Parts: sequence; C-alpha cells; structure tokens
Amino acid sequence: MNATAGRIFGHVFGKWWTAVILATALTAAPAAWAAFGEVIEKPVPEFSRQGDRISAKLIPRAKSTSVQIQFSAAGAELLDVAGLDFEKAERPEVDVKNFKSALFVIHLGDVIPGGEAKVSLTSDFFISSTQFYVFNETLPQSWIISDAANLTLPDRMQELVVTVKDGGPLDSDGKVDGRITLVGGPRDSFWGYALGTLFIRFFGIFIVLTILMLGMIISGLFFQWLARRKVAGVDKTTADGAFQIAKEKAPPPGVRMDPAMAAAVAAALHLHLAGAAVSPVLKPSGSAPGSWSLQGRAQMMAERLLVFNRKNH
Amino acid sequence: MSWAYVLELIKNIMITQTGIPNLAIKEVFMVGVAFFFLYLAVAKKYEPLLLVPIGFGIFLVNFPLVPLMGFSEHGNPELIRAFYKYGIEWEIIPCVIFLGLGAMTDFGPLIANPKTLVIGAGAQLGVFITYIGVLFFGFTLKEAASVGIIGGADGPTTIYLTAKLAPHLLGANALAAYSYMAMVPLIQPPIMRLMTTPEQRRIKMRQLRPVSAREKLLFPLIAAILIILLIPAVAPLMGMFMFGNFMRECGVVKRLSDTAQNALMNIVTIFLGLSVGATMQADKFLSWKPLLIFSFGLMDFVVCTFGGILTVHIMNLFLKEKINPLIGSAGVSAVPMSARVSHTEGLKADPDNWLIMHAMGPNLAGVIGSASAAGMFIAMFQ
Repeated sequence: MNATAGRIFGHVFGKWWTAVILATALTAAPAAWAAFGEVIEKPVPEFSRQGDRISAKLIPRAKSTSVQIQFSAAGAELLDVAGLDFEKAERPEVDVKNFKSALFVIHLGDVIPGGEAKVSLTSDFFISSTQFYVFNETLPQSWIISDAANLTLPDRMQELVVTVKDGGPLDSDGKVDGRITLVGGPRDSFWGYALGTLFIRFFGIFIVLTILMLGMIISGLFFQWLARRKVAGVDKTTADGAFQIAKEKAPPPGVRMDPAMAAAVAAALHLHLAGAAVSPVLKPSGSAPGSWSLQGRAQMMAERLLVFNRKNH
Repeated sequence: MSWAYVLELIKNIMITQTGIPNLAIKEVFMVGVAFFFLYLAVAKKYEPLLLVPIGFGIFLVNFPLVPLMGFSEHGNPELIRAFYKYGIEWEIIPCVIFLGLGAMTDFGPLIANPKTLVIGAGAQLGVFITYIGVLFFGFTLKEAASVGIIGGADGPTTIYLTAKLAPHLLGANALAAYSYMAMVPLIQPPIMRLMTTPEQRRIKMRQLRPVSAREKLLFPLIAAILIILLIPAVAPLMGMFMFGNFMRECGVVKRLSDTAQNALMNIVTIFLGLSVGATMQADKFLSWKPLLIFSFGLMDFVVCTFGGILTVHIMNLFLKEKINPLIGSAGVSAVPMSARVSHTEGLKADPDNWLIMHAMGPNLAGVIGSASAAGMFIAMFQ
C-alpha cells in the first residue's frame, strides 16, 4: 500500500510544476477565501408599480434568468420599495450567500398608529422553506427572523406574509407614527440548496443514462432478433433449395445407391450446411498463444487504434 | 520648431503609441506563462492542437496597447474579441466542435455494451465533489459548477458551461481541463492500480457483438430523443453531437461528414484556442482563483477516475459476467486517451487482454455523462 501511495505521489506530483501550483494554492486558500466576494452576482432590482402593487425584477444570485417579486400591503398603503446593498446590513451572524435575492426597504403609510399591517411578497422564486429575515440596526441583535407565513398559491407561487407592528421590533424607524419601514429580504439556506442539488443532479445523471441504457438494450434486442430472423430465413431457403435439388436428382424408386457414394454425399451435405454458419474461433485452453499470433493480433489492434486516434477532444 | 517640442512629441509617441513604456511586470509574467504552455505543447506534445493556439493567444494579448481584446470607439469588437464574442459568447464554437466530435465518433462499442453507460455516470462523481469543495473556498455556485465540470475531461463542454456561467474563469478552466486531459496517462494509472487487485485487472471480457449499420444509424436519434427530453438544457451540445454522428452513419453526406470532422473542426479549433488564450490578460488572470482552479481540477480528475472504477466494482457485485474495473477509469471522457490508458494497464496485467474496444464504451458514455452534467448545471441556474 505504501509503495502504491509512493507511486501515486511520484506520478502525480513528480512534475515539479504541478507540486508548485498545488502547494501555492493550498497556502493561498485563506487569502483566496477572503478575496472572493459575491460582488459579481449582486442582484440589482428594477421596480415598477401597477396600482397598489409594486414589482421587483432582478437576477438573483446563482441564477442566469430574472425573477419577479410582487409586493403588496394590507392594513396600510404601500408607499414604495427600494433595494438595499447588503454591505450596509452585513453582520457576522448572517451570510450574504443565504440571501439570493436583494434586500428591500419597504415603506408603508396610513397605518393606524401602533397598529399592525401585513406585507406580502409573492414570487415563483420562493420555495416552501423560504423565510423572511428583517434587519433593524436600532436593535442590539440587528437581524431578526420574522414569523412570516409562507403560503402556497397556484402556478408554483409562494407568498410570504409578514405582520409588522408600527413602532415594533420589525419597524426600522422605531416610532409609533403611522408609518412603517420594513428592511429585510427572503432567505434560503445556501448549503441546503447546494448539497440538495448535488445529490439530486448526480443521481439525475444516473437516471438519464440508465434510461438511455434501457432504451439501447431494448433496441439492441430488437435488432439482434431481426438479424437472427434474417439468418434463419437464409438457412431455410438454403435447406429448401437443397431438398428440392435432392428430390429432382433422386434415383427412381427401387434403385439402391452405392453405400460409398451415399457416405460421400452425406459428408458433402454436412460440410456445405456447416459452412453456412459462422463457427466461433476456439482458443485452445491452457496453451499460450504463439509469437506469430501475438504479433498478428498486435498489428490488427494497432490498426484499430488508429480509428480512435484523434487529438481534438 | 524647438528641441523641447520635438522631445515632447517623441515622449508622447513613446507613451501613447508604443508598448515599451507601458509594459508592466505582470504582463511579462503572463508572456512567460504563454511560453510555458507553448513549451508543453511543442516540446512535450501535450494537447498541441489546443495548447498552441491557447498559448499564442495568451502571448498576444499580454502586450500593452494591443488592439485585440477591446472594443473600438464605435463599439466594434477588435480582432480576437470578435472571435470570442461570436464564437464563445454566442456559444457557437463549442457546439460546432461537438458536431465534429459526433462525426468522428463510432458508437459501436457503446451500442454493443450499453451497460457501460452507467460507468459514464459514475465517473461524474468528481464533478459534484469538486463543485461542493470549491464552495468552501468562497466560489459562487455558478463558478463552482464551471470548475466542477473540468473533471468531466471534456474540453468543449467545459468551455460551453464556463462561458455560460462564469465567463471570467474561462481561461483558467479551459487550460486546466486541457492540461489535465493531456496528463491522463500520468494521473490515472496509479489510481487504477490502487483500486484494483491483479486478479481484477486480468478479467477478460467477452468479445463485443457486431453492431449493424442500421443500429448505428438509429442510435443518435434514440439518444437525442431520450436525453433532450430529459435534459432540454443540453440540446445545443447533444443535438450537435448526435447530428454529427447521424451524418457519419447515414452514409449519404460523406462530404459534410468529412468537413465536420476535418476542415470545420480545425477552423473552429484555431478560433477557440486563440479566444480562450486571449481571456488570460494579466489584470484579469493573475489572482489566486486560477491557482485554486488548477488544484481542484487535479482533484476533480482523481475523484472522477475513482468514481468510474468504483462504479464498475459495484456493478460487478450484481453481474454474472464481470467487467474489468480498469475500463472504469475511461468513464471520465478524455476520448480516446483514457480508453488507451485502460488498455495499456490491462496489457500490463495480462499481455493477452485487449481492453481498448471495451474501454471505448465507458469513454463515450463519459462524453454523454459530462454533457448531461453540464446540462444539469445549466438547468439549475435557469
């Protein structure tokens, strides 16, 4: 085992430059961690208002296509919604990776002072486990999990309903003034998603290729059956033909054939019929192939290798 | 005209119109990197068809003020930027290469032994392990997917997926993929020997059945229907691959098939290599990320090889006719290099054991498997 491990090391890391690259990369890992941000995937929402609803269109983190989030309010007037840069709300207890879509600043008006209002966020991007996290920097613990209800609607839509009390902990302005400022965003578990999708997609490949394998096995059986049928058809014709010829050339009844002639005809017929079938090449067991056969086989296989000897891939 | 004026004119010309005063140390370093890859390609013959244009692309774009990868004042792309924009950004070249690969591929060994498709799936293990591994190093999900696919050992698939998900990593990913593909004969054998006993390496497999021309003709149609129905996102790659193979097998468009295999393939390879190399400009390339990608790429290949062989061991638990586990490593794609490695290792164990045709099955399954993995990733981010 040690010898094998040594060989592995020798083979793979024997090239000095591979070892240099690996060593440098490993020592650089902590620095690299800090160096990579999510800046390249920062969602930039665009807002539009339709009546009392506001829509945000954005490309979330880890997505290539845009999604829509609809905002509406009950028990208050939805004044406006704006995006918030995550850097302004970054705290050690939260990880930006869990917030795939942007953070939002939602302003509500016409609230009964000290009363409650409901804010709804609806999107087909949310899943049943999506939560709504609220950021309120006036509190000692700035990030709070809201008790948002997660409702399943038709057409794969999910609705997050957050109940906010004017002047309560979710209200960032902290005042009982008939206005509510809700800062926060939908949160999904990054690692849950990453690991979940890992298993689903890895086994997905098995499923896809297994289905293809089954398709090929079935079509292979069909084609082999066709080939057998064709071969059987040829044999039948040959046998029929031979029978017809034998019948035509048969001596008249009562005339006996010479036994030596009969044996010769039987042997000829046997050789003819045996020759129609492809007999497998038998390899004498226990004996090593001769040098001429090894050389011939090597030449034959080298020629076959050329067929696959392409370099572009 | 005074001397001061002439001197100022010369100074302005030197600064704005020549590269020498603008040459920075990082650009000199990248020219060195270009020489290194050209050396590997020319002297060591490591994937020269790709590494020569890639190396030359790196070499060209790392001179200061060169009008190659930018845009003109009117917004028109400069020379190599145009190759990149229309070839890679528009996802044309990887698909055209798949067309050529399809036209070059004889699926006979895979059709004769469809069980080997499962090996092609098992050999994608490294793709997903690497995907998770790089996430721990702060890569985004899209970047992680593009790095993971390196282990699929399929250059065009790597380029296609990276161009789609993380174009800023294109140069590093493509270089890692092609470099390690060239190093398959170094990377795989120790793992193969570690994971097999001498008895297992001597397992002889039954001669593959002959495959009729009609079967070969129908294969691309059946495979395209099943794969594209299950993973529509892979249609550009798989569609072109199967179209190329159909042209080859139908036998009535020999000229088209020949063009796809040779002239077209060679033309797009030039543009692909130059474009990929040109993405490696010093200011974009010199960071820790490419180094991490090279490290994880190596690990990716190792785990993929491990996954392929492990899959054969698991299959052998259920099969009456045992499969030689050496062909498991061929599931990583890298056609036909990894199949040749399986064959060579088999010959070392038993000089009378010819595994090449058996290894081509998982090898081709690896191409389909890695393209499927790419399709899965693309679908994930849609």
